[in-house]
Amino acid sequence: MKNNIFRTKFDTATIVLIPACIGINFIGKFFAQALKLPLWLDSIGTCIAACLGGPVIGGISGALNNIIYGLVMGDSISIIYALSSLFIGFFVGVMARSGFMQTFPKALITSLVAALAAIVVSTPLNIIFWGGQTGNIWGDAVFAAAQAASIPLWLSSFFDEVIVDVPDKIVTLILVFIIVKSLPEKLTSLYAGSDEIERLDQ
Amino acid sequence: MKSISLYRDNGTWLCSVHPFTKLMYITFAILVPLFIHSLWAYAALIILDIAILISGKILKRSRPLIIFSLTIIVTIFIIKGLFDENNVSKLFSIGPIIFYKEGLMKALRTDAVIINMLLSFAAFVLTTRPSDLTEELEKHGLPPRLCYVITSVFNIIPQMMGTVNTIMDAQKSRGMETEGKLSVRIKAFIPLITPVVSSSLINTRERAIALEVRGFGSRSKRSFVHSWKKHRGDKAITIMLFAAIILSALWRIFIWLS
Repeated sequence: MKNNIFRTKFDTATIVLIPACIGINFIGKFFAQALKLPLWLDSIGTCIAACLGGPVIGGISGALNNIIYGLVMGDSISIIYALSSLFIGFFVGVMARSGFMQTFPKALITSLVAALAAIVVSTPLNIIFWGGQTGNIWGDAVFAAAQAASIPLWLSSFFDEVIVDVPDKIVTLILVFIIVKSLPEKLTSLYAGSDEIERLDQ
Repeated sequence: MKSISLYRDNGTWLCSVHPFTKLMYITFAILVPLFIHSLWAYAALIILDIAILISGKILKRSRPLIIFSLTIIVTIFIIKGLFDENNVSKLFSIGPIIFYKEGLMKALRTDAVIINMLLSFAAFVLTTRPSDLTEELEKHGLPPRLCYVITSVFNIIPQMMGTVNTIMDAQKSRGMETEGKLSVRIKAFIPLITPVVSSSLINTRERAIALEVRGFGSRSKRSFVHSWKKHRGDKAITIMLFAAIILSALWRIFIWLS
């Protein structure tokens, strides 16, 4: 099993999966804004790519997603967070390939892993670039309160990120779980790492 | 279908400059003040950014990009000015709220970095056609598959947004509520997003077959339809920007050593 986790197919089907998932990230973000939800929900596609194509495809989709947004849609700040998206995709892929997307409770564990990856990578980036803030109202309110209580900068920034990322990743992974479960097997088998060919003529 | 790219050809020099020259400018604009490490360097760069945007006639169009990040720019000022851990000397106060000098200076620096970055990216994003960028990248050795991924995103997103509008109308006509309490809005999210996502994933299978049939997996050398007409300043500007980056880096190393 262990050898299988990182196995990646680079055929046409997987290459086509990446832009579709970047599009899904965009749609997720669009709906989150249209419904005025206090979450980002912009990593649904990355997580789907990770579940279907494995950690490498997940990581590539995550990083490319942010780079494309930055270079084309003017959201230049998002380029910095390519690194966090890369790790979210990678770790969700590792979890999915280890069987942690098969049942609902296991999917919740995966969501916590994804949140942890996002927090660990994003917090230093937030501190370096924005002096610790995330840009999310709820998170930044916590940040301001923590700073007012003289809590050290990195810890305040950590709280800021936790408040935003944990609920975000839980909702994201629940959605991904529902969606991936409902996909037809003729589609999911295209991306699976293990190709076993059964011969019928013998 | 509405394009998601912010590019529009307005015939100015900025549109005909090679994408790599503009990318070099972004690298220059970010690295040089970082090495010099002075607020004046940021001020000079921001003025240079604005001058470039004006001469490219895109200052007005770059405004939304700044406004998009305005909340974080303002909140950095407020939070740092009020609560920063190094705050000692009082600068001014509004009623009972006291703003401190140290925090505000730190906020000024952070905001200068953000604004400089936003403006230098604006000069690139508003004047570069995405397909030109990917084609030039491909000519200079980026794998064609990766270039396909980038170009494809621009086709897929408007297509998906079309599906989104259809589904939104369909669900609303069935009486789904999209406004009101948070719980109502969260409940609306699932029936809206799952159909779009599933259908676009199922479409990828057909797209993969269609691409395969047209020789996507072929490993032979590719030819290009367009050839880029070089702007006469491209080479000189790129060399100058690169030299400036190296010089400022050397200067930083010199400061460290002495």
